[in-house]
Amino acid sequence: MDLTRRDFLKLSGAGASLLLLPYGLPAGRLANRFPLHKPVGETPTTCCFCGVGCGAIVAAQGDRVVNVEGDPEHPVNQGSLCSKGMGLAQLNTVDGKVNPSRLQKVKYRAAGSSQWEEKSWDWAIDEIAKRLKDTRDGNWVSEDTDGHTVNRTEAIAALGSVFINSEEAYALTKLVRALGIVWNENESRICVTSTVTAGSESVGRGPMTNHWIDLRNSDCIMTIGSNAAETFPISFNWITDAVEQGATLISVDPRFTRTSAKADLHLPIRTGTDVALVGGMINYVLENELYHREYVAEYTNASFLIDPGFGFEDGLFTGYDAATGSYDRSTWQYQPDEQGLPMRDDTLQDPNCVFQLLKAHFSRYDPETVCSVTGAPMDTFLSACQAFGATGARGKAGAILCSSGSAQHTQGTQNARSYYILQLLLGNIGVAGGGVNGIAGASNGLGCTLQGRLFHVLPGDLPMPASGDESLEAYLDRVTAPPSQMENTISPWTSRPKYIVSLLKAWYGDAAAERNGFGWEFLPKLGGNYSFVNLFEAMDAGTIKGLLCWGMNPAVSGPNSGMVREALGKLDWAVVVDLCETETADLWKAPGTTPSDSQTEVFLLPAAASLEKEGSLMSSARWMQWRYQAVDPPGEAQSDLWIVDQLVRKLKSLYGADGGPNAQAITELAWDYGDPPDAHRVAQEMNGYDLTTGELLPGLAGLKEDGTTSCGNWLWCGSYTEAGNMMARRDNTDQSGIGLFSDWAWAFPCNRRIMYNRASVDLQGNPWNPDKPVISWDEQSESWAGDVPDGGSPPGKAYPFIMKPHGRALLFGAGLVDGPLPEHYEPWESPVRNPMTSVQSDPLLKTWGAVKGEPDNYPILATTSRLVEHMHGGGMTRNMPYSVEMMPDMFIEMSEELAEAEGVVSGDRVVVESPRGQIEAVAVVTKRLRPFSIDGQVVHEISMPWHWGYAGLSPGDSANCLTARVADSNTMIPEYRAFLVRITKGGAR
Amino acid sequence: MSKAVLVDLTRCVGCRSCQVACKAWNDNPGEDTECSGSYGNPPHLSGDTWTLIKFDEVQDARGKLHWVFTKQQCMHCEHPACVSACPVSALHKRDDGPVVYDAEKCIGCRYCMMACPFHIPKIHWDRALPLIKKCTFCADRIDEGLEPACVKACPTDALVFGERDELIADAEARIRARPTEYVNHVFGQHEAGGTSWMYLSPVDFDQLWFPQSDELGTDPIPALSEAVAEVGTPSMLAGVAALLAGIYWATKRRQEAGAQPPAAEPEEG
Repeated sequence: MDLTRRDFLKLSGAGASLLLLPYGLPAGRLANRFPLHKPVGETPTTCCFCGVGCGAIVAAQGDRVVNVEGDPEHPVNQGSLCSKGMGLAQLNTVDGKVNPSRLQKVKYRAAGSSQWEEKSWDWAIDEIAKRLKDTRDGNWVSEDTDGHTVNRTEAIAALGSVFINSEEAYALTKLVRALGIVWNENESRICVTSTVTAGSESVGRGPMTNHWIDLRNSDCIMTIGSNAAETFPISFNWITDAVEQGATLISVDPRFTRTSAKADLHLPIRTGTDVALVGGMINYVLENELYHREYVAEYTNASFLIDPGFGFEDGLFTGYDAATGSYDRSTWQYQPDEQGLPMRDDTLQDPNCVFQLLKAHFSRYDPETVCSVTGAPMDTFLSACQAFGATGARGKAGAILCSSGSAQHTQGTQNARSYYILQLLLGNIGVAGGGVNGIAGASNGLGCTLQGRLFHVLPGDLPMPASGDESLEAYLDRVTAPPSQMENTISPWTSRPKYIVSLLKAWYGDAAAERNGFGWEFLPKLGGNYSFVNLFEAMDAGTIKGLLCWGMNPAVSGPNSGMVREALGKLDWAVVVDLCETETADLWKAPGTTPSDSQTEVFLLPAAASLEKEGSLMSSARWMQWRYQAVDPPGEAQSDLWIVDQLVRKLKSLYGADGGPNAQAITELAWDYGDPPDAHRVAQEMNGYDLTTGELLPGLAGLKEDGTTSCGNWLWCGSYTEAGNMMARRDNTDQSGIGLFSDWAWAFPCNRRIMYNRASVDLQGNPWNPDKPVISWDEQSESWAGDVPDGGSPPGKAYPFIMKPHGRALLFGAGLVDGPLPEHYEPWESPVRNPMTSVQSDPLLKTWGAVKGEPDNYPILATTSRLVEHMHGGGMTRNMPYSVEMMPDMFIEMSEELAEAEGVVSGDRVVVESPRGQIEAVAVVTKRLRPFSIDGQVVHEISMPWHWGYAGLSPGDSANCLTARVADSNTMIPEYRAFLVRITKGGAR
Repeated sequence: MSKAVLVDLTRCVGCRSCQVACKAWNDNPGEDTECSGSYGNPPHLSGDTWTLIKFDEVQDARGKLHWVFTKQQCMHCEHPACVSACPVSALHKRDDGPVVYDAEKCIGCRYCMMACPFHIPKIHWDRALPLIKKCTFCADRIDEGLEPACVKACPTDALVFGERDELIADAEARIRARPTEYVNHVFGQHEAGGTSWMYLSPVDFDQLWFPQSDELGTDPIPALSEAVAEVGTPSMLAGVAALLAGIYWATKRRQEAGAQPPAAEPEEG
């Protein structure tokens, strides 16, 4: 008999009633019987740390949290939590009192001062609103040099967050855009934008295709660029089940990690060689004909013919212009027929068809070459190819889990592209147990980012208006694709007019009317690339004078943190909103900084923690879950929504009284959430209304482009309807048999739990795997059963990848700037010459004049990583005693071989240097790292967590003092995960 | 019926939620620690840390590397030596499994600490009236039909709570189903006369934190410690207060000097 926790909970009847036992019951102490010494929990919440989205229940007594534990009714975590989640109570309460690290008053640090002063909220809101207005109005750009109306300011930046509630992020975006701010970024830029972009290019959308519970349906799971047991431990609730049922777990990682410890195969590769490895797997699948023939022929663009002028030679695709460092992509296009549609060869034999081009390109990735480039052992590599390749059989499924480990490279987008190509060849996208699951690291990374927390988008991922979009019509011409003429395809983006008009109606109400282009002038227009690294360059150059930093800690998380800290010190003013004093708030206390020299005013605003407010957040698996307030925030801390609301109210009154450029963008901003602001009202605005009836819209189909509907975020349309708050649903019965749990919470898009699920069936609508059907066509009722299908038309009437122009996924695509197919290039800093071609690193990668370390001086390859005990920049967990107790110090991991060569033993202090800076850390000498043999050369690699900084309970040096400002050309994601260093034993401390 | 926990080390990912769950449920504070070259921390069980995960890098007979995460806590022996050694019956083995402790009866003699074959009970060295501290098996939760806090927290069901005899059958079934994943041994089924916490492992138990099997044996330990207690009790009672005062004074002094309290077990490898 196999007893599990779930069985026990069922057997014992320990459902809600027992778990909600109040303190003191049962009364009296029987002999050797013990009453519960405190309540277990009653308020449901969603954990605020990683992207798994675990449910927890919170018990409070008075103002303090006395217990937090996993919510046993939650389908994903089933009552469990990881060590961070189990420590959640400490965000509020430590040893029965308010966590002493929590901010309870507004703090202000005057320019040049060496101390904080406590201030009132009224004072702070007044002063911040004044600075926003002065800086904005004094640096306003009505027209750019081309004479286009742009209505923007480039003197203020807004950063963050990925931890605040979706409603708060939405409100923050409204404020930021109403002010005309274009420097607008959050952590997702530097975390996973590359994976998302690869998803959009390959299959139409970027997030995890499948979901956490679905991992149990897999026959083979490959983690690459993700140490999921460490960073998303609850995923192993499901992975472990799959493995016990016979699935193979492959852990691709330079280190033997917590994930590798559970894997059947640990496949070590040198950091930055994912394309070489996966290219080798693609070649293996093609050579051994393991691909899913029917899926590839029908559901991908394998049969499409590419321009005969296309080619590839010695590391470069056709069209490369060395002078501009860019590609002319005109030969990367389909051969058009007389109607302008792509020509096809359904036999897949034409030398110019995508399938043959793919075969030719990856034929160079033979096993010997792959192992020589990556350092992978041949036998393990071949075993991995066999195990994962076997999922190409009909009815089998393989899943890829990837995360920032593969995203944060100059090849980040192409790394993930290679995963998509492999999965498409094997027919693994859309099926249960399959997918490319690009994990968003933070609890609301997706939910915040989809509210327009990146410079180039509005809520709902709608493209941000840019210089030249003189009118709404001009913008729509640019962003709305013409309908495809190809048979059986649904054209994406033809509905964008409905989405943007409804958004403008939500933002500007009656002031958005047809006569004024629905308030088109109110929105700022972009004039370039305002992404994260550019932002800090502009700050360093003095262009940016003021900063709103919301729950983000760039002084720890930015590449080349030393330069980030310098740039922060050049601001006139900074507003930092956080739970505790972070390194960013302490910019005037950075090592090497004299407070009197630091002329930046800092407003440090005390924010409420997740347990202290209400709202929703979206897990990495796209579930929108509502969480509730368990206790009041400590002291004078307030929710982020309250803070935004206060600022908007004050700005409206300032601009109403004094006016200013484009003042109506602020005075006319629709803002009616009550006082104090109610998250439900924000959520309802995001869902949208039928303005004729005043009713909440039931779903996307109701959106109109004539101004009769409002919808703050079309992706949220259907999440909060007249039927209620769909995100708060808690029905944990599973009707699907494959763990979709479709009535628990609500999922983007359209409550679909497995995206591209029309690819899980053949052209007749029969599931490839009848034992685990995601959807299936019911002839009698002429409808789909199972998950919400990607479009409801009958089988054969729509190709499955509805977000791509021809309904087919792209094995070969012209949408990325650095190549239609992935190609191995070395990281920007590498200990070896590229063994494959004479092009050393990605020819399009971006540098900002970074100084490059050469292997002669910096012979050791380094990468960064995360720990289960800490979260990102550590602003939360380095102020939680339980996390600090488990992981108290910055450390580096190194092999026994390297340690011996350097004369280091475990526990020694070491100094690690790169051309950007140097740090000290404790050495952890381990068998879990081994030197690589690359093309006959020994390469040592070390690894270090990046959670530490100079504030908090556990100060330590930041790994990102060593990383460089170099980035992937498609997304500007920095290369955090591969750089060169040298090590010496010792250190000052 | 006796409750027990089966710890399946092949399922544990070392996330340490059990370690935090124990602290959180029992309101134990975090300790000041430092990284000494391993992931493990705190380094030892203490008055404030009743369970922790040990991290061991172990090569098996075939040369395959394992990173084994082993939970350490009171084993809740079927025939607990600590109970037999306690002169005032402050410790008690309940019929349903937990070895529980009554602080009101405890005189702080530390016989239990000396008697325990697993070196589990700890004492608050830094307090004037130190009490014995160890895992309670969350007896309060069990009494309410709840699982122990650590078991509930475990993300991978590496900890399973249930009836001891059923768990033994479950453990044997797991070994039969996946014989290459386990060493063929249920630790705790017989060790020290049997324990309520039992383990399955991918590597030899002698390579982990457990006492060597030959020194542990399969006979109940109390037979030995009862003899100690009978001889020791009358004479001990008189001197206990003075002894404790001395230990308290020495500990304080050592801590003020920056040293660590005495460890009752060897350093982790």
